[in-house]
Amino acid sequence: MNDPALSHAGRRLLNRRAFLEQAGTGLAGIALASLLSRQRLMAADHSPIRPVIRPENPLAARMPHFAPKAKRVLVIFCSGACSHLESWDWKPELARMDGQPMPGAAENFLTFQGENGNLVRPLYEFKPRGQSGKMISEMFPHLAELADDLCFIHSMTAKSNTHGPAENQMSTGFTLDGFPSMGSWASYALGSEADDLPAFVAIPDPRGVPQAGVNHWSNGFLPAVFQGTAFNVKKPIYNLTAPAGDAAARDVLKKLNERHLEKYPGDFELSARIASYELAAKMQLSVPEVSDLSKESASTLAAYGADDPDPLKSGFAKNCLLARRLLERDVRFVQLFNGAYAMGEGVGNWDGHRKLKEQYDIHAPIFDKPAAALISDLKQRGLLDDTLVVWCTEFGRMPTFQKGASGRDHNPNGFTAWFTGAGVKRAFSYGATDELGHKAVENVATIYDLHATILHLLGLDHERLSYYHNGIERRLTDVHGHVIHDVLS
Amino acid sequence: MKTHTVAAVYHRRIKTLLRVSCCSALVIPVLATELPPPSNRPVDFVKDIQPLLHDTCLKCHGPEKQKNNYRVDVKSIALKGGDTHGVAIVPGRSAESPLIKFVAGLDEDMVMPPKGERLTADQIGLLRAWIDQGAVWPDSASTPLEDPRKTHWAFQPVVRPPVPAVTAAGISVRNPIDAFIAARLAEKGLAPSPEADRRTLVRRLYLILNGMPPTPEQVAAFIADTRPDAYERLVDALLASPRYGESWARHWLDVIPFGETHGFEVNTPRENAWPYRDYVIEAFNKDTPYPQFILDQLAGDTTGADAATGFIVAAAALLPGQIGKDEESKLKARQDELNDMIAGTGGAFLGLTLHCARCHDHKFDPVAQTDYYAMQAIFAGVRHGERPLTTSESKEREKELPALRTQYEAVSFRLLDFEPLASDEGTTPQRPRVPVNARLNVDRFAPVKTQRLRFTALATSENNRYEPCLDELEIFTAGPDRRNIALASAGARVSSSGNYRGNTKHRLENLNDGLYGNDHSWISNTVGQGWVEVKFAQPETIDVVRWGRDRDLKFRDRLAVQYRVEVADAGGGWQTVATSGDRAPYRDDKSESTPIPPGLDDARLVAWHAASGEAKELEKKLREATQTPMLYAGRFEQPAPTFKLYRGDAMQRREQVSPGAVAAIGSPLQLPENAPEQERRLALARWLGDRRNPLPARVLVNRIWQHQFGEGIVSTPNDFGRNGARPSHPELLDWLADEFMSHGWSIKYLQRLIVTSATWRQASAPVPMAMQKDAATRLLWRFPPRRLEAEAIHDSMLSVTGVLDLRMGGPGYSVFAPNFNYVRVYDPKVEYGPAEWRRMIYQTKVRMAQDSTFGAFDCPDAGQSSPHRARSTTALQALNLFNSGFVSQQAGLFAARLQREAGDGNLDAQIKRGFQLTVLREPAEDETRLCAQLAREQGLPVLCRVLLNANEFLFIP
Repeated sequence: MNDPALSHAGRRLLNRRAFLEQAGTGLAGIALASLLSRQRLMAADHSPIRPVIRPENPLAARMPHFAPKAKRVLVIFCSGACSHLESWDWKPELARMDGQPMPGAAENFLTFQGENGNLVRPLYEFKPRGQSGKMISEMFPHLAELADDLCFIHSMTAKSNTHGPAENQMSTGFTLDGFPSMGSWASYALGSEADDLPAFVAIPDPRGVPQAGVNHWSNGFLPAVFQGTAFNVKKPIYNLTAPAGDAAARDVLKKLNERHLEKYPGDFELSARIASYELAAKMQLSVPEVSDLSKESASTLAAYGADDPDPLKSGFAKNCLLARRLLERDVRFVQLFNGAYAMGEGVGNWDGHRKLKEQYDIHAPIFDKPAAALISDLKQRGLLDDTLVVWCTEFGRMPTFQKGASGRDHNPNGFTAWFTGAGVKRAFSYGATDELGHKAVENVATIYDLHATILHLLGLDHERLSYYHNGIERRLTDVHGHVIHDVLS
Repeated sequence: MKTHTVAAVYHRRIKTLLRVSCCSALVIPVLATELPPPSNRPVDFVKDIQPLLHDTCLKCHGPEKQKNNYRVDVKSIALKGGDTHGVAIVPGRSAESPLIKFVAGLDEDMVMPPKGERLTADQIGLLRAWIDQGAVWPDSASTPLEDPRKTHWAFQPVVRPPVPAVTAAGISVRNPIDAFIAARLAEKGLAPSPEADRRTLVRRLYLILNGMPPTPEQVAAFIADTRPDAYERLVDALLASPRYGESWARHWLDVIPFGETHGFEVNTPRENAWPYRDYVIEAFNKDTPYPQFILDQLAGDTTGADAATGFIVAAAALLPGQIGKDEESKLKARQDELNDMIAGTGGAFLGLTLHCARCHDHKFDPVAQTDYYAMQAIFAGVRHGERPLTTSESKEREKELPALRTQYEAVSFRLLDFEPLASDEGTTPQRPRVPVNARLNVDRFAPVKTQRLRFTALATSENNRYEPCLDELEIFTAGPDRRNIALASAGARVSSSGNYRGNTKHRLENLNDGLYGNDHSWISNTVGQGWVEVKFAQPETIDVVRWGRDRDLKFRDRLAVQYRVEVADAGGGWQTVATSGDRAPYRDDKSESTPIPPGLDDARLVAWHAASGEAKELEKKLREATQTPMLYAGRFEQPAPTFKLYRGDAMQRREQVSPGAVAAIGSPLQLPENAPEQERRLALARWLGDRRNPLPARVLVNRIWQHQFGEGIVSTPNDFGRNGARPSHPELLDWLADEFMSHGWSIKYLQRLIVTSATWRQASAPVPMAMQKDAATRLLWRFPPRRLEAEAIHDSMLSVTGVLDLRMGGPGYSVFAPNFNYVRVYDPKVEYGPAEWRRMIYQTKVRMAQDSTFGAFDCPDAGQSSPHRARSTTALQALNLFNSGFVSQQAGLFAARLQREAGDGNLDAQIKRGFQLTVLREPAEDETRLCAQLAREQGLPVLCRVLLNANEFLFIP
């Protein structure tokens, strides 16, 4: 009864290719964009490229601008601003100057939350790792073992020192609410390779959503078809479970809709709606399947820590496994979040204002082992060859403690992100902060640069991938950004 | 690493220089130390120099790109220079001309061209010689600068064009709209479609004008109405319906973008933003003339439409706690707020991207950076926040207050006498006293003379999770003339075991300030425990203590569920007069009813009910009388001077700018630097509502057209500038704009004009030949069918299932489970009930978080302005509409309605009624058969779910 293929009427439509291509579209925004592109004079080499979206199948796989290195992207996002000074950015001078005032800082050295005290040494020991000898702290012992595979950018800068806007920027390019997320841009540009799963999945931490919430996977002003679908092992997609009588009901609906379509032959919106119910039916099967970890071997579960008795640890570990399963099934863009703001400052995330060491002693073990297992697993399965992995956080933390506290305040002027996988160098470090880890000084990189590089690896020119909205040819990178060629392999 | 270092220095400098820049940073080539010598031959600009400039510089500094706002093909700009570095070419002095320095690579910060081949020494020599010889540049060799003020269509005055003559036979021209449309169609060899049948028209009219379908009875009545003006009568009725304003207000709120939360990470509610939504609904219903609509929204504080200024502060904003304490963060956050006000105003009324001029002159439109800051000066005195709304009603209510207070006090004292005495033994008697509750508790005891009373919390609700909270502690004298002697105003003083440090709101003074509710409460500094002591002005005989945690019952946590009340005896010891020990155990039962005191006989019970009811009534009146309604509609203050900011950088002030508007458009507007705040907004509103301003009428007319036909005459509704789309029917747009202004800027007049046109009344069926030429139906050879928007789907569904609550206005309903985290979490409600069955425009608009069923239908998230919704089709939409609890529940209700209205046992009649209600037609025989089988096998609600998902139900025909 439940025919997974496209309905008869829909199929007939889809074959009429020539007709379709002339036809403008049911997606009003896109019709508009193509209209504009014809209207305007643009320089040949920088003219906006707006993907041709077939309205009857807006998620059809599309060609990139040039040959890509990566087919998929996994973004691992540590929400709350994970301190670069405690993790990846080794600052021996900071250790040496422990307890001294920040050189050159005003007496009343104000940052996000207010006054700061003196410099404080990194709170974890750093050791040389792998053959490269990269200094990484003991906070992330498992990830540290992967040092030879990682490609660090130590000179990241953000435009805001507030979590929400900075997280917005990291995921959408803009500090404001309402802009499309990176994953939405990717699915807008490239469509989907997975025919029964969303093109773009966000996996929120089991404890809740990050500070900027759904903005991380929002489609902003792009058509809703490009929005990220959020679910994790604990919390499935809303409304995925079909009520009783599903198959029979679906069949009758299809017949009624096909009958109605006869009055509007060639109408894409109507036929796309018929097809959408068929994809929904497929997702009702495929999403529970991909979220079902019971078929994973005991050794895999153990490697990730998915069998850990601590539900916080096993919860995140299961999300890591889900990420791998999604990538395996060719989901284009996966966001994996660690940390949630729903529980308050620092309690469930990396926002270490008050008692940084105590908080990180809790959070690091939740994150480290499963994340490292995920990367090793991707590597072992060959998925790293064409999957780009990005680790990021919204900004860094200050080399000082806040006045009267044992934690560090927000620092948007210098922090670390790293890549591994498709198209990037291994055991490589790019850019640097100053000796105290306060500000990026060498090869200063912006979030625009990070995004430009990610798009580049997907075979997309960040200056050309655009969408017309409200008078402006919008890009993920606004009017900024340079591909960081030095990190490309 | 060496190259990195140089590049790093360079990169750093360019970054500081171009903080908010649109320019790209560059890759560094080798630096030169001295200039090549000038060539010693006569130089001809056209022959020698122009090709050189074109080959080398034009890509970034020409007609397509003007990096740094500099271009080498326009003489005046080439000589004058760009935004930075001053005059680029100094005639006669090549060595001092920045252009030469840059091409020669003298300045490590600026080497030109940044990419590709550099100029040779000979070429530089030629350039130098040309400059030294006077930089002669014939005007004929300069690209004429287009002046968009003179050439761009949207900046030209609105001139009423002649109506084209329609000569072709068989074309229905009901009003001039049809003539304009027919003329364009004829150019393309197309013809209009015939008129749609009446059933289609009535459905289309209801869906577009009122946002929900007609009832079968309304359809039948229209079809039966044979009067020649039946159609026009229906149009008038629908425009007069309050449903009209509710539907069309939504379109305006998309433009703003209106939200009822603050946005960003905390996204907490903006409780009092909804009056703006009601203002917009009312304005559409009242057909407020458009200039008045503009005036209200910019300066409603002067027109009696206070709520309307919610327009200015509709966008998301960072709350103080989210803004960094450093100076730069604060200035930047304020600049962002002001930018939203300017962008909102520019987009909504002018259809211009004014915000593009924040950092530099607008790249496409005649908006100077100075104009931007002149507009900023208009709004510089507007702050995000609430202001009290004083109306004649609220003043009236205030007068009643003293009398109400006296009445309430009397009845509340009467109620005290029903309370049993608290056992001072702390044991539970046969009939325990009522359990403590968060709202109000009474402890009565034998009269005792004392000067001090102590209330000690020993345990709190929710397992001692939090510190105890008291919103007020009242202590009454015994006898007939009761007085609350705990009040600070009565001379009492309070002390405590320690006060909450987390939030400055919960101060000790709140305990005896006479004000109730969480905002006027005290919290202890110890989890689960704490005491407060009240010392009266002099010793008094007392017998009652009354206290609560939150009389508004918004909070039930922090309630002292175990406590002790003691009074000081003469010897300085403490004597217990009441405890929680003789109360029934605390139940967190969420009940709001007042518990009945135990041990009352029938007569006393009746008396208690009477008193209790009276008290409730008075409490309600008091609440209404004391609450000054607050509006999230901006706070106004005289602003500090406004300065132009270099490249939009809040830290780089330049010259002061006085309030004004876009100089190149309409009649000039310039106010003195110190103009009063309100005067600024008034002036801007008048400038926008002035007929001489060519944009507002065109922009509004286009919006109305867009929501009628699905696409505007200009398909970029917020951008009428040179970067926007050209109108598909420019003459029609101007004719409509003129007609609109000439008819009192009446939006209803315009609506009527459009929907009574033959163009609008066309059938929507596709015509193969026309589809080939114009599949997007831009030329309107038919009425373009389209899917309903999210709100109309919601409202239509509730309307056919019969549960739609048409109550208008007031605070909205929420579709999210209650949550009080300081960073709000928006999880959908699990169950829905009548409270959520109002029209969707009354759904509290939470930014970013979407309604879990209808949000996926391209509902704007109130993050950015959304004047033109995308219309996409997704699997998530299908999942939501087919599977969600909300729709399943509605399907059940729909089934019940069908059984009620078509007879319980008659399935065919039920199916027929279902079709009539959803798609306003009878089912065909095969449809009935199909549906009947499904209903028999799976039940009627399953069939109802199908009908509510049918394309025919969800599309405007």
